[in-house]
Amino acid sequence: MKRRDLLKGVAFAGVAGATGLGGFPGIWTGRNAAWAAGSDIPVGVLFSKTGAVAVVESTLHDACMMAIEEINDNGGINGRKIRPFVEDPASDPATFADRANRLVRRDKVVSIFGSYTSSSRQAVLPVVEGQNNLYWYPTLYEGRECSRNVMYGGAVPNQQQQDYVPWLKEKFGGRFYLLGNNYVYPREENNVARKILKGIGGEVVNEEYVPMGHDSFSSIVSQLRRDKPDVIFCTLVGDSDVAFQREYHNAGLDPKTMPVASLTRSEIEVKAIGGKAAAGHFSSAPYFMGHQSAENKKFVEAYLKKYGQDQVTHFVNEAAYFQVYQFKNAVERIGSGELTPSAIRDAAVGQRFMAPQGEIEIADNLHTYLWPKIGQWQANGQAKVLVDSKSRIAPEPYWAYEGQKCTAEGLQES
Amino acid sequence: MYSWLNEIFIGLSLTSILLIIALGLAIIYGTMGVINLAHGQFVMIGAYVAWFLQSQFGIGIIVGLPLIFIAGALLGLVIERTIIQRLYRSPLDTILATWGIGIVLEQLVRGLFGSDSRYVARSEFLDGNLILAGIHMSYYRLFIIGFALFTLAVTWFLLFRTEFGTKLRAVIQNKEISECYGVSANRVYAMTFAYGAGLAAIAGALITPMVSVTPTMGTKVVVDAFLVVIVGGVGSIAGTAAAALMIGEASAWLSYLLNETTARILILLGVIVLIRFRPQGLFPNKVRR
Amino acid sequence: MNKGFSIDCIGYALFAVFVVLIIPWSANYSGYDLNVYARYLVLGMAAAAVALSWGTAGILNLGQALTFGIGSYIMAMHLKLKASGAQAGGMPDFMVWTNMEKLPWFWEPFQSVSFTLAAGILVPVAIASLIGGFMFRGRITGVFVAIITLSFMLAVQLWIISEQRFTGGQNGLTGLATLELFDWSVDVYGLAFYYMVAGCLLVVLTLGLLFLRSKAGLVLRAIKADPERTRFFGYDVSTYEIVAFAISAGIAGIAGMLYAMILGFASPTYMGLSLSLAFVIWAAVGGRESIVAATLGGIGVNMAEGRLSDLFFDQWTLILGVIFIVVVLFLPRGLFGLVMDLRIKLESHFMANPISRMNTSLDKHRSETTASQREGK
Repeated sequence: MKRRDLLKGVAFAGVAGATGLGGFPGIWTGRNAAWAAGSDIPVGVLFSKTGAVAVVESTLHDACMMAIEEINDNGGINGRKIRPFVEDPASDPATFADRANRLVRRDKVVSIFGSYTSSSRQAVLPVVEGQNNLYWYPTLYEGRECSRNVMYGGAVPNQQQQDYVPWLKEKFGGRFYLLGNNYVYPREENNVARKILKGIGGEVVNEEYVPMGHDSFSSIVSQLRRDKPDVIFCTLVGDSDVAFQREYHNAGLDPKTMPVASLTRSEIEVKAIGGKAAAGHFSSAPYFMGHQSAENKKFVEAYLKKYGQDQVTHFVNEAAYFQVYQFKNAVERIGSGELTPSAIRDAAVGQRFMAPQGEIEIADNLHTYLWPKIGQWQANGQAKVLVDSKSRIAPEPYWAYEGQKCTAEGLQES
Repeated sequence: MYSWLNEIFIGLSLTSILLIIALGLAIIYGTMGVINLAHGQFVMIGAYVAWFLQSQFGIGIIVGLPLIFIAGALLGLVIERTIIQRLYRSPLDTILATWGIGIVLEQLVRGLFGSDSRYVARSEFLDGNLILAGIHMSYYRLFIIGFALFTLAVTWFLLFRTEFGTKLRAVIQNKEISECYGVSANRVYAMTFAYGAGLAAIAGALITPMVSVTPTMGTKVVVDAFLVVIVGGVGSIAGTAAAALMIGEASAWLSYLLNETTARILILLGVIVLIRFRPQGLFPNKVRR
Repeated sequence: MNKGFSIDCIGYALFAVFVVLIIPWSANYSGYDLNVYARYLVLGMAAAAVALSWGTAGILNLGQALTFGIGSYIMAMHLKLKASGAQAGGMPDFMVWTNMEKLPWFWEPFQSVSFTLAAGILVPVAIASLIGGFMFRGRITGVFVAIITLSFMLAVQLWIISEQRFTGGQNGLTGLATLELFDWSVDVYGLAFYYMVAGCLLVVLTLGLLFLRSKAGLVLRAIKADPERTRFFGYDVSTYEIVAFAISAGIAGIAGMLYAMILGFASPTYMGLSLSLAFVIWAAVGGRESIVAATLGGIGVNMAEGRLSDLFFDQWTLILGVIFIVVVLFLPRGLFGLVMDLRIKLESHFMANPISRMNTSLDKHRSETTASQREGK
């Protein structure tokens, strides 16, 4: 009996030990080295390369990495190179929070560049606020947020909708069908759209939400035929936007009488949709690939050269690109002072930078002054700019909410 | 009235898509009791082959269908010979193994082609709509409905009018006795699996103009196909067709009356109740296993 | 089944040592790594839950992530309410965004810690009992159980995602406060929390082993081998199946509650098909017949994933898929089965007494035959 017990015991110890060996950090080198002061600057890069919105987010990753490489090739920041820690959160908010946690606690980054969807930003928010880190968020979003730990590089509703909705009503009529994916961004944008429409005498004919990644729109098209709105106000993202536009086109609906006016559609989605199906519809954005400026020419050329001539730049990866440069400028301003996320944030405020879209400025509420435009998609996949703004527009994330304002001290109620 | 007819048409369209996808799975399940969770990946690979043919060689979807079928069938054959054939005795293990195969296939495709959404164009002559009694019927969707019926007919013919079909039905009814009669069960299984995979690949190619072609598109379809097969009943083509019709029409109507998500939830709950009270499905084949 | 039980005891003791001493030491007793190890333990617990119903009773629950997810949501609801005290009406932020007017009634009870802890176990058990009753009273077995559990899980997951104003939708519940248990504020990156998790795991495994050792466990094994025959012996098969199913669910619920604390959020992603299948695969790798082995499987695979996915960033999922296939094809009883076979081989080699040697090989023959009968399930 004793020998048998011994053998059993040895067998199990073997298994337990082998598994335990996997846990010894020393065996697997790499990640645990602490960063010495004065050497590389660690940052996190948190864009999905797989999943429902990977079609857009992978280009954000590409633009961000291109900026980082450009800066490193030019000697880095004050002689220090940027060291990116790349994670793939797979379009899932839970994974975003998880990876952000890892970047902040294990890799000890001083900033994270990330996110396309609002859900992923909201998942990361508690992490960066709890650990007092800094999140550079390049994407347009629904506003109604005023965190001191996020640098918002994308447009908020007042920058996107303020002129767009009245223009649409004037051109096509005031009966709007609101269509979006089922999460906070489309819901908030639709809240704002409703408020604007109410003020100008427009009407919401229907409001429909589909799950993320949903790609079957035949019933929605039936509803459109039934309700006959003047404008389809569209906040679908990723695969859903592509599938919907294709279905619209297959169903033979006409953009001259029932156009799709999108807030999210960019050159990326149009490429996946196909130029023919996307032609005649509209988007409102601070940047289009065809914008004529010296910086944009340089940006587009570098991007196409690096990633292929069939790639496109768009208003979100342009922001992913310029945010890295804003980061660089802020770190330079700090000079030899201590490099912490809060210091970087404070140094970034008020900064001006010549981005591909024009000269942008970081407001003290950490949002960005941008140059919104209204563009109509052409069959070649590019947008023709119909309406351009004369000056950069100030960001007001609480524009639609009386008595609330986002300031340098955070959200102020009055 | 117009909207009723329209919903019926949409339901038929959804049915036809489900049917083509599920038919391959149903045949495999009926014959071998194998629940192939990698079936969705066969669909995905069919879609990618369609994209590949179109972007590299300019071959349209319709023209490319035979090639796509063969590609899917070959892949199915390889997988069956190497992995599936070892698992015929334990259906639960096949669920796990095929899930693993599905993951491997998805990752391989992602590694080769990236996660970008790929665009495949419809054949030009199928653009446009037929307008009948006030409803708009896309030619392409009509084509798919017709093709689904065609596939159903071909499969029926294969099963009931060819020698291979007779052997297949014999093996389904009683494997041991069939082997005593000189039927090579292994070969029948391999051919069946290949046929099922080929059908899945065709389904994938046909749906490309309507959905995004990404490496993850397979997982979305496999659960639906699974449900159709189980509801339809083991080894029954009529059952699969009936189940596809029920689920397709139910999806269309419930989405129209309520919304897409509630429709799906109700269908899942309906399937649960149906399986509980009639696990053999709608039109089961009486077989001795 | 004395041998099985003794092995489990020794293995269990070694396992306890591993969990209580070796792991914390290798993580330097605090910080991010310790939290990650706590996560592995919790996932191991979930694998054990699956193994309990699958390996012992032959019930493959493809919806285990449902009870796991419900446990995590319950804990998250309590912690979310705690974090939202300052908001209007004590409502969580997503309710404010979705323009809700007040807290729904089914959220109210979760203000209390004790209710939450009780609910985290009892709600999954109740759900499992209902579904189990629904299925097993109708003598549904095998594949159909798998499909029904899977469909039900998907239906609930869809509902949670769509009812954003009640559940936070696709985002899940984020921004949670820290748990306060009897005046102890639980720091999930600290050693005390790790020991709490380890303690839960060891207690759960102990109770599980005792259950399996009891008459009920014996009947379950009989049910797995041949349900009809067991019925003829006069046992109410469906009741035993429901009990096993419900116990698994309870264990998964506890694991879910701990997971919500570790991650700091709850999400419908963790209530889906991929996670359910992952539990099953971990149990398969470890060995579905022993809950201790299944736990080790869960811990081991996740540990390997944690290390290797950094090295093989893009290919890790591919490797995981290959592991799935290999384990199912060649190691149907998991690593545990491998170890058992090794033991038998070693024993028959080292037997001094030829009669004992013969007995051992008879044992081996017997266990192999029953094993191959079990493979039919």
